[in-house]
Amino acid sequence: MSHLFNHNGAPNTGYSQPPSIETAVKPSIPAGLVRRQQARWPRLSEPEMVRHYTWLSKRNFGIDTGFYPLGSCTMKHNPRVNEVIAQLPGIADIHPHQPEHHLQGLLSIYYEMQHMLEVCAGMDQVTLQPVAGAQGEFTAVRCIQEYFRLKGDTKRTKVIVPDSAHGTNPASAAMAGFEIVEIPSRVDGRIDLDALRAVADETTAAMMITNPNTLGLFEADISEASQIVHDAGGQMYYDGANFNAILGITSPGLMGFDAVHFNLHKTFSQPHGGGGPGSGPIGVKAHLAEFLPGPLADRRTPTAAEQSTAVDEFWYHWREPAHSIGKVQQWHGNAGAVIRCWAYYRRYGSGLTTMSEHAVLNANYLRHAIHKAAREEGVDHLFVDGAETDVAKHEFTLSLQPAKEQLGVSAMDVAKGLLDRGYMAPTVYFPLVVPECMMIEPTETESKDTLDTFAQHFAEVLKVDAETLHAAPTTTPVRRVDEVYAARNLCLRHPYDE
Amino acid sequence: MDFIIHPQGVVIPMVDQLPNLGREEEMLKAMGLQNIDDLFADIPDDVRFKGPLPLRPPQSEEEILSDARRLLGANIAMGSRTSFLGAGLYRNYIPASVFQLVTRGEFLTAYTPYQPEVSQGMLQAMWEFQSLISELVGLPIANLSLYDGSTAAAEALTCAVRVHNRKATQPNTVFVSALTPPDKMSVMENYCQGAEITIKTLEHNADGTLNLDSLKEAAGSCGVYLEQPNPLGVLDEGLTMTKEIIGEHTALIVGAQPVSLGMVEAPGHYGADIVVGEGQPLGSPVTAGGPLYGIFACSKPYLRLMPGRIVGRSIDVDGNEAYCLTLSTREQHIRRHRATSNICTNETLIALMGAMHMALLGPEGLHDLAYRNAAACQKAKEILVDTPGVRIVHNASHFNEFAIEIEGSAEACLAYLDGNGIIGGFDLGRWYPSITNQILITTTDQTTEQDIEALSAQLSMWTSHQGVSA
Repeated sequence: MSHLFNHNGAPNTGYSQPPSIETAVKPSIPAGLVRRQQARWPRLSEPEMVRHYTWLSKRNFGIDTGFYPLGSCTMKHNPRVNEVIAQLPGIADIHPHQPEHHLQGLLSIYYEMQHMLEVCAGMDQVTLQPVAGAQGEFTAVRCIQEYFRLKGDTKRTKVIVPDSAHGTNPASAAMAGFEIVEIPSRVDGRIDLDALRAVADETTAAMMITNPNTLGLFEADISEASQIVHDAGGQMYYDGANFNAILGITSPGLMGFDAVHFNLHKTFSQPHGGGGPGSGPIGVKAHLAEFLPGPLADRRTPTAAEQSTAVDEFWYHWREPAHSIGKVQQWHGNAGAVIRCWAYYRRYGSGLTTMSEHAVLNANYLRHAIHKAAREEGVDHLFVDGAETDVAKHEFTLSLQPAKEQLGVSAMDVAKGLLDRGYMAPTVYFPLVVPECMMIEPTETESKDTLDTFAQHFAEVLKVDAETLHAAPTTTPVRRVDEVYAARNLCLRHPYDE
Repeated sequence: MDFIIHPQGVVIPMVDQLPNLGREEEMLKAMGLQNIDDLFADIPDDVRFKGPLPLRPPQSEEEILSDARRLLGANIAMGSRTSFLGAGLYRNYIPASVFQLVTRGEFLTAYTPYQPEVSQGMLQAMWEFQSLISELVGLPIANLSLYDGSTAAAEALTCAVRVHNRKATQPNTVFVSALTPPDKMSVMENYCQGAEITIKTLEHNADGTLNLDSLKEAAGSCGVYLEQPNPLGVLDEGLTMTKEIIGEHTALIVGAQPVSLGMVEAPGHYGADIVVGEGQPLGSPVTAGGPLYGIFACSKPYLRLMPGRIVGRSIDVDGNEAYCLTLSTREQHIRRHRATSNICTNETLIALMGAMHMALLGPEGLHDLAYRNAAACQKAKEILVDTPGVRIVHNASHFNEFAIEIEGSAEACLAYLDGNGIIGGFDLGRWYPSITNQILITTTDQTTEQDIEALSAQLSMWTSHQGVSA
C-alpha cells in the first residue's frame, strides 16, 4: 500500500516556488484571522508524489485498461487529440469575464456546438451552461416551470416519470419543487399509454422519459405519448442519456418533445474522469427558448471595427434570454468539456449517423454473441432477455433471475466474475423493473473481436461453480469490499487526531 | 488517410474510431439481418430523419487540431497579457506533474467507482482529497466535490434548511451576504426556489465588513452564507463573531478561497458549520469557468443530509484495507425524488488535480503560495495608492484582491487598459449596478512587480486623459 499521509519529508518538498514580491510592509492578516495551526498535510517530494499517484492509477480500471460495457454510461473511447486541444492556452487560460473581442474563438465554438446539438435534437435553441446531465434535467424542468408561471398556469405542479427512469429524473424534478407521479412500465418494459392517460391532466407540468428507454428499447408509441401529454397541456422532456443510439436516425424534436438534455460526456466523448466532469447542455423548442439560462452564443455581421478580430464572416457575442431562469452554474458551463466535444464532433460531422448505427450494431451483435456463446457452453438456461424484443438499440438488459433461482448466483456474482477476467462489469440492478438485471452497453468503439471474446467469457463465467463466484473477484487489487462495514464504521478522512 | 464512402454518400475519415467499419455485413449476417436499417425497424417512419444530417463533413485529426489552434488562438489567453482579472477564478501556477498524471488513462477514462474492487485508485485518491480538504477548512467531513463554488454554496443553503428547519423560528429562511455576486446569487435562487426557501440579504459597512447589527436579524433562521475573503477581497475579522450571534440552530456557511487558508484561519476553527468554496485556485486552470470543482465540508450534524458522493475507508473480505462509496442512501440512484441532491456526475477528475496540487504543496508550500498571493496584493496596494487618480476603496486587510476607484467610468478605463495590453481587472458595476467607477484588482502568484508597475503607469495615463492631475 502507498499512503499519502505516510509521507512527511522536509518543508517545501513538492515543488520549488520562486521568492515572493518584496513589499515595504508585510502583507497583513487581521490578528484574529491568522491561521494558528498549519494544515496537517503530508509532505511529498515530486518523485514521491509521482510514484504515489502512478501506483493509485494502476489500481484503477478505465476504458484505456479494458472493455467497459457499463450500461447507460456510454463508455466509448476518448480520442486523445481532444486532450491536447483542451490544454491549449486559448481555452485553459481564458476567463469568462473577458470581453467578447478576447473570446471570439470560444464564442464561435459555442455557437457551432449549439447549432450542431439543435440540428441533431430537432430543437430551436440550445444552452451549454448545465455542467452535468442531472443539472441539465433540473435546468429544463425549471424552464418549464417558469413557462407555466408566466402564463399564469399555476396548477401544473406534477411531473410524470416511468418507473424505469434514471434516478436523476425524479430527483431533479423534486429539486425544482415538483410532485412526482411514477407510472408503471408494461411487462415488456415499454411505456404503458393507459397508465399515462390515467394520470395526465391539468396538473401535469411535464413528462420525463428517455428513448430508447433504460432497457435499451425504442418506445414506438412515443408520438402517442407526446400527444397524450400535450393534450393535457403538459410538456415533454427527453432525457438524453441514451442519445448515442439515435443521432441522425430520429430526434427528440421528431418525436414531439419540447425539451431535451444531452450528456456530452456520454454521446460526445468528454472523458468520464472517474466520475466527472461532465457537461449537460439542454435544447428546447422556441416557446421555451427565452427561459434558458444565459448567456447564449449568438452572431451577427461584424462592424468595420470588429472585422480585424473576427474569426470568420460573423461577429460572435453573448445574449441573455428575455425571461431567463437565471444561472445554474456561475460561469459559462464546462467550457473545457464543450471544447473536447467540439473536437469529437468535428471528427464525425454528418457522419454522426454512422456512429449511432455502429453503437446499435455493436449492442445487437453482442447480445447475439452472448446468447450464441451461452448456447454453445450449455448455460443459456441461466439468463433471459430483460425485455423481449427483436432488436435492441445501443444497450440491452439481461435478467440473471434463472441463475439466482437455479444456482444461487446473482447478477452481482457474475459481475465480480467478469472483473476477474479483466473486464469492467456491466451496470447491475438497474433498471429496477428487471430482476437481477445486467445492463450492457458496448459502444461503437469496440471491435467485433472484443465483443466475441467478451461473449465467450460471459458464458464461461456462468459455468463457474457458485462458491467460486461468491468469492470472486480474486485477481483484483482488493477482493469484495465490505460496504456495510464502511457505513457502520465511518472513516471519511485520515485520522489526524489519533 | 483511409476514406470510407458510407452508403449515404458521406466521406468518412474515421476508421480509426470505428473498428467495425467494413465488417457490418459479416456482423449483420451472423444475426440473420440484411442491412443496418433492419436494426432500426422498430423506429416508426414518421419520426425518422429523411436524408443525412445537415452538418459539415467529417475532418481528420490533423485538420481538427489545425482548426482548434486557429480558433482558440484567436482568444486572448490571460498569460499572453498582463492580467488582474480574478473575481472568483484565480490563475495560480500548477506544477507540471499534475497535468502529466491526471491524463493517465486509468484516471481519465474511468467512471464513477460502482465496482470498488477495480476502482481503488480513484477511491483512495478521493478519500485523500476529502482528508486534505477537511484539514484545510477545519471541519471533520468533506465530500468528493460538487460542480463549482456556486452550486456548493447553493446546496449548502438547502442542506442547512433540511437540518435546521424544525427548530428554526424563521423556517425556510436563509440569509446571504448582499455582496454575493449576482451570478452566484442566481444559482442559489434556482436551487432554493423548489424547496420554497426565502433568501434574505445581510448588509455590509462602508469599509466592506459585515454589518453585525444586520446579522442579528438572521438568528433563528436556518443558515447564513458569508465569504472570507469577501467578494470585494476584504478579510473580515467580524466573521469570527458570527456564530455566537446567530446561535447553534442556525448554520454558519462560509465560502472560502482555498489558497487563502495557507495564512487565514480555517473557518471551521471560528465556528463555521459548513465550508464551501471554489476549489479551482488549487490545481485547476481557469478554463473559461469550467470544469472547476466545488468544495463542500461540514460538521457531523450535517453528514446524513449533505449532498454529493463520499468515500469511506473499509475492508475487503480478507480484512485488507479497501475504499468504497458510502452513505449512498442519501443519493438519487437509491432515494430517487427524496434524495438530498440530484447530483450524479460530479467533478472528480478536477478534484484529483486539486489533491495532487495539495500533495505537492504540503503545509509550508501552501503558506508560501498564499504569501506570494498576498505579497503581490500588498505590493499592488503600495504602488496604486500613490498612482494619480486612483483610490483604494476599502481601508481594510485584503488577501489577493481589492477594489479601486478611478476617474471616469470603470468600463471605459478597462477598455483603455485593454488597448494597452492590460487586462485591468473586473468592473464592479457588473455586480453592483449603482457603482460605475470601481475596479476589482486581483493578484496571484503569477503577478510580477513589473505587471503592477505597468498597471500603475497606464492608470496614471488614464487619469491624465481624464483631465485630472495628481
